[in-house]
Amino acid sequence: MNEAAIRRAGAAAEATAAPAPRRALAAAGRAGLVLAQRALLLSVLLAVVFAAIELLPGDAATATSERGESAAGTAARRHLLGLDRPVWERFGDWMTALPTGDLGTSARGERVTGLLAAPFPNTLLLGATAFAVTLVTALALGCWGALRPGGAVDRILGLACGIALALPEFVVSVGLLLALSLWTGWLPPVTLTAPDGSPASWTMLVMPVLALAVPQAGWNARIVRGALADQADAPHVTAARLDGLSPRRVLLRHALPGAWPAIATGAATSTGMLLGGAVVVETLFNYPGLGTVLSGAVADRDTPVIAAVVACTGAVISLVLLGADLVRARTLGARP
Amino acid sequence: MNWTRRQALWAGGSIGAAALLTSCGDGDDATSRPADSASGTPRKGGTLRIGALGRASATTRDPHGTQANESDYLIISLVYDTLTAPGLKTNTVGRLASGWKASDDLKTWRFTIAKGAAFHDGSPVTADDVVWSLRRLRNTPSGAARLPGIKADGITADGRGTVVLVSDTPNAELPLLTRLTTFVLKKGTSDKELAKAPGTGPFTLDWFRGGNARLLRNDKWHGGQVHLDAIEVTMFESPQAMANALLGGQIDVASNAGAVAARTAASRKDIQVVRRPDDMAMPIVMRTADGPFADARVREAMRLVVDREAMVKQVLSGYGTVANDILGTGDPAYADDVPQRKRDLAKAKKLLEEANFGLSKTYELVTTEDIPGLAESAALFAGQAREAGIRIKVVKQESGTFYDKTWLKGALYTTYWGTNDSVVFFASKTMVTGAGQNEAGWSEPRFDDTYRKVVGTADAKARAAALRELQKIEHEKSGYLVWGMADGIDLAGPTVRNLPKLPGYGRVQLENVWLAR
Repeated sequence: MNEAAIRRAGAAAEATAAPAPRRALAAAGRAGLVLAQRALLLSVLLAVVFAAIELLPGDAATATSERGESAAGTAARRHLLGLDRPVWERFGDWMTALPTGDLGTSARGERVTGLLAAPFPNTLLLGATAFAVTLVTALALGCWGALRPGGAVDRILGLACGIALALPEFVVSVGLLLALSLWTGWLPPVTLTAPDGSPASWTMLVMPVLALAVPQAGWNARIVRGALADQADAPHVTAARLDGLSPRRVLLRHALPGAWPAIATGAATSTGMLLGGAVVVETLFNYPGLGTVLSGAVADRDTPVIAAVVACTGAVISLVLLGADLVRARTLGARP
Repeated sequence: MNWTRRQALWAGGSIGAAALLTSCGDGDDATSRPADSASGTPRKGGTLRIGALGRASATTRDPHGTQANESDYLIISLVYDTLTAPGLKTNTVGRLASGWKASDDLKTWRFTIAKGAAFHDGSPVTADDVVWSLRRLRNTPSGAARLPGIKADGITADGRGTVVLVSDTPNAELPLLTRLTTFVLKKGTSDKELAKAPGTGPFTLDWFRGGNARLLRNDKWHGGQVHLDAIEVTMFESPQAMANALLGGQIDVASNAGAVAARTAASRKDIQVVRRPDDMAMPIVMRTADGPFADARVREAMRLVVDREAMVKQVLSGYGTVANDILGTGDPAYADDVPQRKRDLAKAKKLLEEANFGLSKTYELVTTEDIPGLAESAALFAGQAREAGIRIKVVKQESGTFYDKTWLKGALYTTYWGTNDSVVFFASKTMVTGAGQNEAGWSEPRFDDTYRKVVGTADAKARAAALRELQKIEHEKSGYLVWGMADGIDLAGPTVRNLPKLPGYGRVQLENVWLAR
């Protein structure tokens, strides 16, 4: 969001050539401003979530009632859950409690912080691992293909990445499940939970991570390859090549640095896809993460739980996007 | 809200997996399928790893809350005891109560607390604890539905060992009401202490985390010897993941895994498929109060149109039995002598003609995907009805919409019921005039009179006769088309013995299970 502003601000800072402390202060200020914007965006998103759940038929009181509970019983439950109050009031209460770390109470009377205490770190672990695998694979494959543009490796990789990015997570999951677990018995088919709420063994992470990383790695490898192709035509890269530097040196020292902004942006957008894909993948592998919490909460119209999941994942995605923006600002700022 | 799509995807995925897995079972011919899992002398010891369905967002620890998760209910019912429990020969057996006796007018019931019953911390169970727990249950929003006809002041203690329940109306079946949710906690347990509150059940809680738990044997359980050292409960969101865990040897039992998983596992000789008959009814409801199905002849015709064998075979993959339009098929008093209704298109057409039923119109059959097979049953029935010239369009609704807009109001919709071992349960809850869940809006004075006779008669013989009459009326006139009963299906590894065979919530009684070596 608003990279242009950052770039302009960066250019202005360069132009005035302010002393270092002031520049650092300005940078911190800019980051603070962007953070504030992101927080505002997240609040708007949460308001939309509250409104959207309000628009769905039924509410948490009916969704969590016994079948055939009397109307009076459901009304009592509705009052208990505070659902008889207007939606903006509930949103306001929830938002004002948010800074204190209070995420409200689920429709079944459990503290939402308690419900998310184990799943959120688990999903972060899954997402971060998948993100790292995605990034490393994408860089490796993209650079490998770019070493000889149009070569056999480049073309095969292009095709393979195209297929990988088109595969939905559940197809990858079922394939992995059959190949690595049910046929061969190499890996446990589902994730069991240790007493502390985390996966009982690291082997249980392998398949969920791969299922998430394969499509995203395909997508990002294409981006890396494309960004490197753009850079290949840049004057300084052409000059380096004409100087007779080795293709590897040209690629890593001259083309790759200029490709960072595009790569960072691509990878950052993958965060959303990774966390979204986690909903499906976690269910298939019974991974104890946010995805399983979210799918159940939507069915229950459990607004506090849904909003809490959105807030957690939204914050993570915002931070990663912010990081990508900083990478862009730094690279582009250095080479205006 | 991708539930629908995801389920469809899973169906596809699992069929593929089933076909591919058939090759896996070949190496296991040495361990033949145990013919009777109850045979042999029980061996003490071992940890049973059991998977049960549940969603992380819906976990609850309150024994008197609404437990949507089978995993939560399983854990709660192993740690806490209900007053009574579902049984095999009679549909109600004692659990925390060792016996019960009614007054002559069948309004006042006295329950005796079992000898030696004690909480896990050693303190004995008193009538005060039971009264406090039942009142706590009664005062929840669901209380009126769980203890119908009993008010909070109608629950009192008589001495240390007797609890008295007073019903507003005569009710010969009152002990039946105390089977599923009357978990007993210590008097004065606060909401904050619920997670650690001691119970009286066959197992004590070792740890609970995010829906998963480990339970340890209670050596001093009043109900007898428990064989297992421990039970580990793992929560699964999808039945397919649960079946995979079983196939991969990560768990020993997949509780209520369903027909699709059973088909997947059928090729594996080392997996036991435990069928619990009469587990789930999936009737079609035809509104009797008004609308196109108000005429009893039309309803009769619809019941003659359905091809019950085909429904059981295709919707339930054969894991079920044909039913006869009477709910409560698992009741020992179920009237299996009422002639089975069979498909008769000619008679159906004649009845429709007599009733002047509009065949040019298209009727909507509303269904949901709340349980596997429900939407499929609607689609198959619509196809069968077309053969009789009745045009039915299946409308799928999301669960929330369904309960908001269609349930108890619609002219034609599918429903499902999980407690099928009592005819009277259904009569009282869904068929008597004005019942809270009278799904078809049915009102039949003859049925109401007979129902009152059943619940108000103490004499066993007269009562049995009335109960049979009740079922005959239901068979002829009610708003239900009960085409079949789905089996409950548990999958178990080769060493598991003596799993419960009871339908519905009877599946959680794991105290008699043992592991062979």
